[in-house]
Amino acid sequence: MSEPLWMQPIERLAPAIRAGALSPVTLTEACLKRIRQVDDRLRSFIHVAADIALAAARTAECELAAGRWRGPLHGIPIGVKDNYLTHDMPTTAGTTAPGIAFPLRDSAAAARLRAAGAILIGKTRSHEFAWGNVTPPVRNPWNLKRVPSGSSGGSAAAVAGGLCAAALGSDTGGSIRMPASACNLVGLKPTFGRVSRDGVVPHSWSLDHVGPLARTVADVAHMLDVLAGYDPSDPACQDRPVPKHVKALGTSIRGLRVGVCRNHFFERNQVEVERAVEAAISALAAAGATVHEFTIPLLEYGLGAIFAIELASSTAYHDVSLRAGRVAHFQPDVRSLVELGRFVTGPDYLKAEQYRRALMDAFERAFANVDVIVGPTTPITAWNAGEWTVDVGGREESVLAASWRFTYPYNLTGLPAISIPCGFDQDDMPIGLQIAARPFDEVTVLRVAHAYERVHDWKDRAPRL
Amino acid sequence: MNDQLPLDPWKDILATGVDPERLIENLAAYRDILAEIAKLRSLDLTDVIPAVIFEPTAPYRAGGKT
Repeated sequence: MSEPLWMQPIERLAPAIRAGALSPVTLTEACLKRIRQVDDRLRSFIHVAADIALAAARTAECELAAGRWRGPLHGIPIGVKDNYLTHDMPTTAGTTAPGIAFPLRDSAAAARLRAAGAILIGKTRSHEFAWGNVTPPVRNPWNLKRVPSGSSGGSAAAVAGGLCAAALGSDTGGSIRMPASACNLVGLKPTFGRVSRDGVVPHSWSLDHVGPLARTVADVAHMLDVLAGYDPSDPACQDRPVPKHVKALGTSIRGLRVGVCRNHFFERNQVEVERAVEAAISALAAAGATVHEFTIPLLEYGLGAIFAIELASSTAYHDVSLRAGRVAHFQPDVRSLVELGRFVTGPDYLKAEQYRRALMDAFERAFANVDVIVGPTTPITAWNAGEWTVDVGGREESVLAASWRFTYPYNLTGLPAISIPCGFDQDDMPIGLQIAARPFDEVTVLRVAHAYERVHDWKDRAPRL
Repeated sequence: MNDQLPLDPWKDILATGVDPERLIENLAAYRDILAEIAKLRSLDLTDVIPAVIFEPTAPYRAGGKT
């Protein structure tokens, strides 16, 4: 292993740990050192649990020495987004507002990672209450003037910067996939109901998803293998068989039907984003997939629907804080959004839920003819911190409106969707390709993602910090 | 709420709970969102059952919380 330890993906670290060639303590120390060296610039962690992580690494080392290998995450340092509860690290959900506190207990995802032998190294910064797409004060490892996107910006910056091997994120409108795209990572939003959200601070109950960010498709598959499964504590979690996702990797995509939805996803993109995504579609065709183009006109109405649901839900969750005046201590953008939810009427909310069903039906019809749908993850690459508008296809547009345009349809429909690296723009900022599939068909998402990844070297590039 | 006075739509019905200046700021911020919601309102979805699931057995699922 010639690369620094902190650069390597789980798919290379895990076999070395299992074989006894790499100590979890050595790996954890390498990540902690990297945090000390670069996180004063990235600001990706809000809490680093060095002592706890090293103790867990020593335990892992003892277990491995005794011949007890728990699986590919055993001894792997992983960051936890600061909206997941943890029993041994504080949770803030990105807020400093007084009077708001979260219990010290493990979320289902944190508990599953610990049971798999993972080393939870610290809590990564979240945009306050997982609202927003900037994640201040976190910066993008590819350019410290740029944002990492959000709201899982701390998780993305930490993994991209080599501070941990993978991280947990949450995704209500794109908050795993957008930062993955902005930071040259793989980020998976599983199907709604595939991974338990128990112990994750709610943002919008019917839109919230949890999932991993990592450097490679295989790493994300390893994470999903541990995270997926029924949990009655999350009312949305479904009791369905969980396949071994890593087994999907490496299989041919010859004959697989790749769908390209030409409206909405291709109507307004930065030129280099569109070029990179078209090249990726051609690469999938060259690998033997057949490409089928179609449109879903109903997508034109989606923004109003997700705003109605997300605003109303977030305001309901923060109702006590609103009435107690605590939202005055929220960040200005988050405070506004929480207050705006009062304007969404009951009929608007239910019409959005009606629309949602109609959109689910439209995607189901599309999936009668295709196995996956591909397109850009976002129409723009990471923008400068402090900028609120960007040029998109020759038109000035707010980053809030532009950044999540292609991700939120999969929150409304609950379909599994991944972002994988597919190139860089002229400023060396990463571009993401989004791949979605039918409900609970993460296997096909990962299979296509891996087929693309293995014939490109985007994942092997690392930011200079 | 004084039942002798007419209802204030912002305070009593929408419970916005902010001062008039802040309310004006919020209404301005809501303008673009409202335009999108207005598009949604224009759809005829009469026959579509909303994607909201009422599940009366939820509290009885093992480990479920009410």
